[in-house]
Amino acid sequence: MAINRRQFLIAAGGLAAAATTGGLAACAPGSSGGGSQGGGNQGGGTNLTLAWWGNPTRNKNTQAEIDAYVKANPNVKISPQPGEFASYWDKLATQTAGGQAPDIIQMDMAYIADYGTRGALLDLGKVDVSKFVEGTVDSGKIGGKLVGVNAGINSAVFFANPKIFEKAKMELPDDKTWTWDQVFEIGAEVASKAGVPFGVAGGGPAGFVGSDSLFGTFVRQQGKELFKEDGLGFEVADAQAWYDLMLKGLRAKAIGTPADNSEEAAKPLDQSALVLGKAAIQWWNTNQLEAIGAAAGGQQMTMLRGPSTTGKATDRKTWYKASMLWSASAKTKNPDAAIAWINWFANSTEAADIDKAERGIPPNSELLTHVTPSLSPAQQVVAKYITDIKGEVGATPIAPLPGGGTLGPVMFKHGIDVLFGKASSADAAKAFVDEVKSNLKV
Amino acid sequence: MSAISELSTVRGTRARTPEEKALRKKEASRDNKAGYLFLLPWLIGLVLITLGPMLASLYLSFTNYSLIQAPKFIGIENYARMLTDPRLHQSLKVTFIYVLVSTPLQLALALAIAILLNEGMRGLAFYRSVFYLPSMLGGSVAIAVLWRNMFESDGLVNQLLRLLGIDVHISWIGDPSYALWTIVLLHVWTFGSPMVIFLAGLRQIPGMYYEAAAVDGATRWTMFRKITLPLLSPIIFFNLVLQIINAFQAFTQAFVVSNGTGGPSDATLFYTVYLYQRGFVQFQMGYASAMAWLLVVIIAAFTAINFFLSKYWVFYGD
Repeated sequence: MAINRRQFLIAAGGLAAAATTGGLAACAPGSSGGGSQGGGNQGGGTNLTLAWWGNPTRNKNTQAEIDAYVKANPNVKISPQPGEFASYWDKLATQTAGGQAPDIIQMDMAYIADYGTRGALLDLGKVDVSKFVEGTVDSGKIGGKLVGVNAGINSAVFFANPKIFEKAKMELPDDKTWTWDQVFEIGAEVASKAGVPFGVAGGGPAGFVGSDSLFGTFVRQQGKELFKEDGLGFEVADAQAWYDLMLKGLRAKAIGTPADNSEEAAKPLDQSALVLGKAAIQWWNTNQLEAIGAAAGGQQMTMLRGPSTTGKATDRKTWYKASMLWSASAKTKNPDAAIAWINWFANSTEAADIDKAERGIPPNSELLTHVTPSLSPAQQVVAKYITDIKGEVGATPIAPLPGGGTLGPVMFKHGIDVLFGKASSADAAKAFVDEVKSNLKV
Repeated sequence: MSAISELSTVRGTRARTPEEKALRKKEASRDNKAGYLFLLPWLIGLVLITLGPMLASLYLSFTNYSLIQAPKFIGIENYARMLTDPRLHQSLKVTFIYVLVSTPLQLALALAIAILLNEGMRGLAFYRSVFYLPSMLGGSVAIAVLWRNMFESDGLVNQLLRLLGIDVHISWIGDPSYALWTIVLLHVWTFGSPMVIFLAGLRQIPGMYYEAAAVDGATRWTMFRKITLPLLSPIIFFNLVLQIINAFQAFTQAFVVSNGTGGPSDATLFYTVYLYQRGFVQFQMGYASAMAWLLVVIIAAFTAINFFLSKYWVFYGD
């Protein structure tokens, strides 16, 4: 029987259509199966999804932790969802919007309020945090409810390159007594003597003039905060004082040129001024010491405390920051299993032996003692520093309010206008405060 | 779709008797069935992947939607807020400058290179590929990163200038006065796809026109103005419409060069970058949806103006 052209066309068209619809239909169960909602309790087991962002080391560690946990708890299945920081948040927001949020979520301080205040995070009150160092639990509380368990302690800190100080024939400064003015004096001196663009540089995504942790240090020493429960904890005058301070550093030739500052803000860690030998001192977080050293070809950096207004390190009101936290989705089908996993991570030597200090210094003091001997040299230096500054730590700041994650970038944007002479410090300060305030209205 | 039914009506008119008519109709409907079946994959995609989300975003533009909580209807508040949003106005300014400067420059360069390549030199295929290459790469993240490194104060561009004896320390990327122009340059550099279309258009112009003009003693410039431009005008129009639409939607370059901030000082805050920030950084998906619809209106208006003006300068040979 011959098939004529038309019959063939209809059949072919039908096939094509079937293939498409089939493909689309296959998508649906596939995507929900990947998420938590399709999981439930299949065959008596508990299914959990676990999402984190990280680097190759952390990916390997986390997979090892999952394997160890599943081995000890054979009725639990954990599907990993590793990611990369920048795209992680787009994905998490989209998953949450679609009701497909992972059960266990690695969380960041910049976003915890956005999720926590909107009821997207599970109450983790049942996780045992009794052995946590003081000041490390509160950062995960939103409206008095624990929604994020500190996964590693961090603190903002200066890293200094001893080689550049050697080249300038200068001693490293005494970080227990130095003031803001001295930071700029020493910065200017080392920059000119060693011939580097930056005496002191900002680090991370916002540069010196836009570093929210430096600005936070500054306002806390004036008895204020970046955020209060009901809004901003500082005023236009504080922002103006900050911009004036930056102008002082600029004129002293301590913090590089406006263009240097503008460029530095877009640089990844391995191309930062400190790594490339273009800065004598740069502001970072303690958990980055090892990565910076490795990127700088093994050059070990020296940690220096941030400055104080009074010249006494005990007055500098630093704080323990959670480098990251563990949260769980409020919509998880297995809240108890999610809590059990976070509890295991926070309190078991098994997890600590794998993670060591990769996510920051363990906040659980017993675990810290347990892992310290097996830490790398750089991690040991960090562990000692975190213990040393115990007496200098002020009250734990509250998490940034929803929309408050934009504070650093907005402060930076208007700060660059000040450095380039396009705006006065007074105008820029007002514009900065107005813009952050409008971002807080959601 | 309409082409298929048109075709069957044309055939239908030729039918004389009722029996013939019925037969034609049956045939036509069978033809249509096949046509629709072949269309189905595209149709399903259009409805599920394009139309559905578009309608959803139209609804969301009238809501306060944080992605995490359910949307709350707030009427036209999002649109009203746009009037007093200084960053929105800044992003419109940046985007308009970008579109209005980079599109004509890019098309002029594409046309110039296409005319050069049309001369029939040896190794044409090679040059054509080389000039097309930036178009394939220009939208990529790697090129945007390269751009950042080329135009910083110690970057390749300044090093070259210094070799030529010009001592510059301007950071083209870091200084708010120049940052946008580096991205305009990047866009102009990706002239490959309009160039290929121009080249195809140039090949369509019969050589005898030029021969006749040469006999009459016309200069090359006159030939370009009196023969090439008018005959190529439909192609220029096509490229112009497409490239303007493309330029309004530019995102990757500005996003990567500024690290997602639109900086320095919002100098490269493209409309799409700001839309992304509102939606995914500040969790204001309702406002972001309203912004998306404003962009649709702007692009539609530009396209309509283009079509209206085309009456005065586009010459269709037939």
